[in-house]
Amino acid sequence: MAVSALYFVIIMLSFRNIWDIYRRASYSKYNTLSGSELVPSVSLLVPAYNEELTITENVRCLMTLNYPTYEVIVINDGSSDRTLDVLIKEYELTLLPNPEVRGRLETKPVRGVYYNPQYPHLYVIDKENGGKADSLNAGINLSRYPLISSIDADSLLEKDALIRMARMYMENPEETVAIGGDVRIANGCVIENGAVKNVSLPRKMWPMFQSIEYMKAFLGGRIGWSQINGLIIVSGAFGMFRKDYVIAVGGYRGGYPGEDMNIIIKLHRYMLENKIRYRVAFCPEAVCWTQAPDTYNILSNQRKRWGRGNLKNMIENRDMVFNPKYKVMGLLTMPYNVIFEALNPYFRITGLLALLGYVMLDMTNWHVLLVFGLVNFLSGYLLSIGALLLEEIAFRRYTKLSDLVKMLLFSALKFVGYHQLGVLWRVQGHIQYLQNNNSWGTMTRQSWKDKKEAA
Amino acid sequence: MFSNLALAYGFIYVCLGLIAAGIIVLFYMKIKHNAEQREMEHYAAKHHDYFVYVQAHLHDDIKLELPPGKLTRAERRVIQAKFIEWIEQFKGEAREKLLHLCREAGFVEEDLRALSSPRKGRRIEAAYRLGGMRAEEAVPQLQQLMNRTRYGPQTIILARAIAKSANEQRQIREMLSRLLSYGKAIHHMAADILLETRLDAPSLMRKLLDDQDPGLVKVALVAMWGQAVPAAVPTLNRLVGSEEKDVRAEAVKLYLGSNPALKDDTIAALMRDHAWEVRAAAAKALGRLHAAGSIPLLAEALKDENWHVRNNSAESLAMLGEQGFETLCQAALTGTGPARETALYRIERIMAKEGDHEEVEQMVAFNKKKLVYDRYFGIQPSKRIGTVAGVGGDYTA
Repeated sequence: MAVSALYFVIIMLSFRNIWDIYRRASYSKYNTLSGSELVPSVSLLVPAYNEELTITENVRCLMTLNYPTYEVIVINDGSSDRTLDVLIKEYELTLLPNPEVRGRLETKPVRGVYYNPQYPHLYVIDKENGGKADSLNAGINLSRYPLISSIDADSLLEKDALIRMARMYMENPEETVAIGGDVRIANGCVIENGAVKNVSLPRKMWPMFQSIEYMKAFLGGRIGWSQINGLIIVSGAFGMFRKDYVIAVGGYRGGYPGEDMNIIIKLHRYMLENKIRYRVAFCPEAVCWTQAPDTYNILSNQRKRWGRGNLKNMIENRDMVFNPKYKVMGLLTMPYNVIFEALNPYFRITGLLALLGYVMLDMTNWHVLLVFGLVNFLSGYLLSIGALLLEEIAFRRYTKLSDLVKMLLFSALKFVGYHQLGVLWRVQGHIQYLQNNNSWGTMTRQSWKDKKEAA
Repeated sequence: MFSNLALAYGFIYVCLGLIAAGIIVLFYMKIKHNAEQREMEHYAAKHHDYFVYVQAHLHDDIKLELPPGKLTRAERRVIQAKFIEWIEQFKGEAREKLLHLCREAGFVEEDLRALSSPRKGRRIEAAYRLGGMRAEEAVPQLQQLMNRTRYGPQTIILARAIAKSANEQRQIREMLSRLLSYGKAIHHMAADILLETRLDAPSLMRKLLDDQDPGLVKVALVAMWGQAVPAAVPTLNRLVGSEEKDVRAEAVKLYLGSNPALKDDTIAALMRDHAWEVRAAAAKALGRLHAAGSIPLLAEALKDENWHVRNNSAESLAMLGEQGFETLCQAALTGTGPARETALYRIERIMAKEGDHEEVEQMVAFNKKKLVYDRYFGIQPSKRIGTVAGVGGDYTA
């Protein structure tokens, strides 16, 4: 009940802000800004590990954004496939003899930097395998611009996504340390020339569940959390950061998943400890489309990894929990994450067992189980409806009536099996953490072309 | 358990009610939005010929007519949106004709009334459109609205509308002052908004450069980036000595951009300034000014703690003929740390351009540099290859 109450408060905050978001998205025109010298320059960092199937399309997408000054830095993290060869061939890159690497963040050895003067804004770093955080740090070391943006190699940005974020940054540049973008599921959409042409819901079950889940988390959750400066994560798939502060906190933490959450916690900690006014913002109108896992194995691996990352971050930063020094972060966000995210599976399991025990003692009370099951389902479903309303008010990406019916249906079906699997995967993630299992797990990609046919 | 159960039942009823209401609203909104969309497409198609007529005669010496017959609200919106889109694209007489059409059709009047609407969304929408229609009569109301709006995205929308509509410099100044009064370092955004004005921008900027408020001076300086305003050079010369670090740095950048004749002690003073922005701007300008006498200063600046200063110095040295290039080679061969790495990187960039030069003069200049290069590093191209340089630990960019 307490969990639901807090969820409702957060979604109410999202509703409070949604009309402002709609207005700023509709009445801020980007055509002048996207050609203006006054917009801050951005370095896009794209870590790539075994992305040979999608990387060309993604880089093409990134090279054609509506943005005045930016560079694209792809970091080949020691891929065992042909990621680097594909890029070298596509863009006729050559090894840069004396690349200027200005940063000193520790990374695995860099084997070389590839470049072609015909594409003056594209750099490809080839380095030994060290993980996503290590790759981002290597990208930061080479980057030239004051803002950095991390983008997953399996994601496609909408053409205006970056300029929308920059507009938000320019509204308050001194206090903005990070801005998160909205991540949506691309499975089912028609992709052409590195851009989403036709938006459609996924046809497969697993991506469809994730589509609903992402909408609920990003629109229902993050808009609200950002209102009270309590965002604990900016998705690794698409976020923008002030480089000086990322450097000040020592860059990304390597060696463990959950680096996207970790960097935000570190930024909160740094700003609060040094008493600097700041905000971690969320820009839901800046959209990034990503490939969602479409098989059970890949999805379970991803979720176990998230579970591990979350637990690691909570344990590492346990001193912030209920610590008034860290304001909203210490008193609300961190406790919420520990109690309702990290420990949530155990509360659910013990609650269910207690209820089962109570019913077993007196079988005439079987309906109690039903009532509490219904409470659980209906509160969750109501939150999904809330997220769908937010989507319809401000974004309207899915235009067909049949899409709405499908979303309503899957929002309900999610509670029969998928939700419970989520709990199981999180517990398994925690077990992996205790076993010191720190593998990334399998993440296989499909080319965007195949995805179109298969989704 | 009973009270809990009673509470649970209550919760279930409330949830069921809200879910049912939510679903109804969702379907209603979806159907309404789709119908609106279809209606807009229908009217856009219906008035296609009228749009062609307007477009074809925008530059002719005739009075443009409004579409015939009584228009529905949606039709008016479609036509108004198209006019506003064109107003942004055209200038001069064509724009004036479109603005006149908007007035004649009553669009301006309608949106002026909407500015007093109790609904915030309606007011912001009207402000956006009035800005699009350059409605100068709306400025006082827009200013009032801006003054009572809490800082946020709406403030920017209102400020843009004022910048587009204002027909007096005073109104722009007031709007900018209000924008800066929130204390949010938004000089770049303010400069971008300032550039939306249809007033004489160079004259407005010159006036702002003389303003008492350093914030407004900075906005004007930022807005002048990439614009040649020769009449402002004396003011810039004065601002180069400003106490405000930001103002001084911006003024130096612009002042040096106007290719002024600089005295040696002025150059030396700028290269010693404690603000890196000033040193970087000076270093960048020296190459462009072909100030060969400043080579020792630039060579020294290769050791600067700031990357921008080092990089700009190396770039300028590369532009100062054989002598400048030789200084770079010396720094690459005998220098240490960041100075050496910066010089090396610049040299590699120059040498990589072998074969890119089409003009005879460029080829000759390159070959001279190549000879200097060979003298320092030998003729083997393999010697050029270095490892990945680890420079600086400087993230000032």
